[in-house]
Amino acid sequence: MKTISLYVDKKTYLTGLHPFTKLFYVIAAITAPLIAGKLSGFFLMIGISLILLISGGLLRKALPLVVFTFTILLTIFLIQGLFYQNNVTPLLSLGQLVFYREGLLYAARIGLNILNMLFSFALFVLSTDPFIFVEELERAGLPKKAGYIIVSVFQIIPQMAAAKNTITDAQRSRGLETEGRLLTRARAFIPLLSPVVTSALINTRERSAALEIRGFEAKTRKTFLSERSFSRSDRLGFFLMLLLLSVAVLWRNFQ
Amino acid sequence: MTCLTFRNLKYRYPHQEKLALDSLSFTIKKGEFVGLIGANGAGKSTLCGAVMGLVPHFYKGAYGGKILLGGEDEDDAIEVAKTPIAELCRSVGLVFQNPFNQLSGARITVYEEIAFGLQNTGIVREEIRRRIEAVMELLDIVSLRDRNPFDLSGGQMQRVALASVLVMEPEILVLDEPTSQLDPAAGEEVFRAVETLKASGITIIMAEQKMEKLAAYCDRIILLHQGKIVDFDTPDQIFSRDDLSDYGICPPLSYLVAKKGAEKLDIYGWKPHSSRDSQDSRAAQDSRAARDSWFPAEIFAVRNLSFSYVPELPVLTDLCLDLDNRTTAIVGQNGAGKTTLVKLLKGLLSPVSGSIWYRKEDISGKTVAMLARDIGYVFQNPDDQIFKYHVLDEVMFGPLHIGMEEQLAKTRALEALETVGLTGLEEVNPYDLELHERKMVAVASVLAMDTAVLILDEPTIAQDYRGRETLKRLIRQLEGEGKAVLSILHDMDFVYDCFERVIVLAAGKVMGDAGGEVIFHNKELLKQAGLEQPTAVKLRNLRIK
Repeated sequence: MKTISLYVDKKTYLTGLHPFTKLFYVIAAITAPLIAGKLSGFFLMIGISLILLISGGLLRKALPLVVFTFTILLTIFLIQGLFYQNNVTPLLSLGQLVFYREGLLYAARIGLNILNMLFSFALFVLSTDPFIFVEELERAGLPKKAGYIIVSVFQIIPQMAAAKNTITDAQRSRGLETEGRLLTRARAFIPLLSPVVTSALINTRERSAALEIRGFEAKTRKTFLSERSFSRSDRLGFFLMLLLLSVAVLWRNFQ
Repeated sequence: MTCLTFRNLKYRYPHQEKLALDSLSFTIKKGEFVGLIGANGAGKSTLCGAVMGLVPHFYKGAYGGKILLGGEDEDDAIEVAKTPIAELCRSVGLVFQNPFNQLSGARITVYEEIAFGLQNTGIVREEIRRRIEAVMELLDIVSLRDRNPFDLSGGQMQRVALASVLVMEPEILVLDEPTSQLDPAAGEEVFRAVETLKASGITIIMAEQKMEKLAAYCDRIILLHQGKIVDFDTPDQIFSRDDLSDYGICPPLSYLVAKKGAEKLDIYGWKPHSSRDSQDSRAAQDSRAARDSWFPAEIFAVRNLSFSYVPELPVLTDLCLDLDNRTTAIVGQNGAGKTTLVKLLKGLLSPVSGSIWYRKEDISGKTVAMLARDIGYVFQNPDDQIFKYHVLDEVMFGPLHIGMEEQLAKTRALEALETVGLTGLEEVNPYDLELHERKMVAVASVLAMDTAVLILDEPTIAQDYRGRETLKRLIRQLEGEGKAVLSILHDMDFVYDCFERVIVLAAGKVMGDAGGEVIFHNKELLKQAGLEQPTAVKLRNLRIK
């Protein structure tokens, strides 16, 4: 079954790190340049994320995310470069359009911030099994029901997609034309909604009965199949990130 | 020692007027294997749910009387209605009819899925591991350990569902028609596994439509009718009753033979459909001969057909097959490629290589909707097919979409509903019907389209004796009208009785293709394909020995 998880199980040092170490990296990577307040901070963190992505064999999987945000970045540069309220110094002109230094610098700050967040999140999402992450959250005190809701999404959405395909097949086989022009396909979409929703509701009801008979409502503390402790690498990672945050704070204060 | 006591148990579902369980009083001893039989709607599933506590805790409704676990003395026993399901699940396990809905939906491997209940109830890790290994060994699912539960075939999924319940080590195991979606070999495996459990002292309650199996394995059987207990006795006593047909039960053939005598039943002269010389089949043959005289009998020609969902796992390999207008059953183990083959014939899937010809025309250029005028396909799960709010609208949907006039579509729909025994339910919402009725709605909705070919995917699932008889009549009627009926089936008795031709599929290849008489006497072939002989053949062989 296809999953909606982006996790890539490459069995590298990145996938072996504790999910909380990588989550802390995301927090540190995003906050450190903001605390330091310099564009170079963003470049530094983007550089680190790229090195980690390359060393973990994940860069190819991360690039589509960059392409996805390219339109947003371009829009930011256009709007801020042209219309930023503090625009004073013209930098370049394309016909009637004049781009200002202040606006472009501001756009660069926003753009780099977005890219930094994107790469650090990509690192986390691509190298962390969501099921393990939720298990660790539950171990740390997340309620069992909240954990179930999160992980079931990864299974139930693909199931609903499969159910949608089956129902479409059932309708096609009774003469409903679903192939061809856009209007034909749009018309075929309406009779699809009711059975998809109804079957999802029926399945949900039966599944909740199934959960009940497997002790889901038990008051006892849940046990876990594996023990995941913080390794030396995890401790080193935490230490480096704390160091990074400290340097950012010092940089800010001594400027 | 008494394990389970029912005291005047009454139950009514919310918004219903009729009692689903009515004044049930009986006891079950520890270690007994009790069968639960009755027509659809008799209350079997409700009774299963009541032992587990789903009735009344989960389904609510009006509840009276008591179920006591552990003894007749109330002081020592657990009263089901007063105990949370989370507590009851340590003593009672329930396996659903549909394994898909028994999966947690939150685990990505079979191993983790089986562990789910144990984790919830706080069992220590080492014990969880020990129990999982033992139960996977018992049910022969060790090889499925790292597979995603949702990627498994129906039979595999049912064994995982059973494992996920057994691993809780319940004292009472309740099984609600657990083999209805399994191939014969997998069904037999479940029965054997259950018998092994019985030997370990576990109490078993099993609702089932396969009377032969219950007769072979059960200590006692409860006969239910409209929520009431008609009888609770040994299989011999139950199946010797003269009035079983009044309760929608057909006794096992072996009991019929013992009771009426083999000669009287003509069991030894019993022939499969292909060689039977009844008036019905003569009429069907005459009709077919007349039709064949003006167009060729060949319906489908399958040439070098290969198909796979993922490149590394081929489902069908270089398959060549001609299908004519004889009634044809496709049999084989779960995962053999049966549903994939019929979906390809219907155009719902496209071949990776090879071609399919319908009446000498390549179907690759046609959409599924175009083929709908000629080829009708009833899906295995009726809920995939139903989407209107009235039964009549649902049944008219197909005819209207293939261009029938509204009046004609209505006439055809009413006729189809009458054929499947649903007259009077035209204005009912299909979702308010029971599964066996919804299945019949799905059959009627394709039948009303009056197609030349009718493909049925597991039509007997959830059907009791009466439902199966209705389907038999339908198949014979269509055969008489000269239509081609192609069906996927796991019920070998039904196949032997209704189909002229039997195609055995295994691992995406045709292992056998002949009449039932030939196929069901080829023991080597049956073994390879994980099939079993129909009861009539077994009985005849016994006499020969």
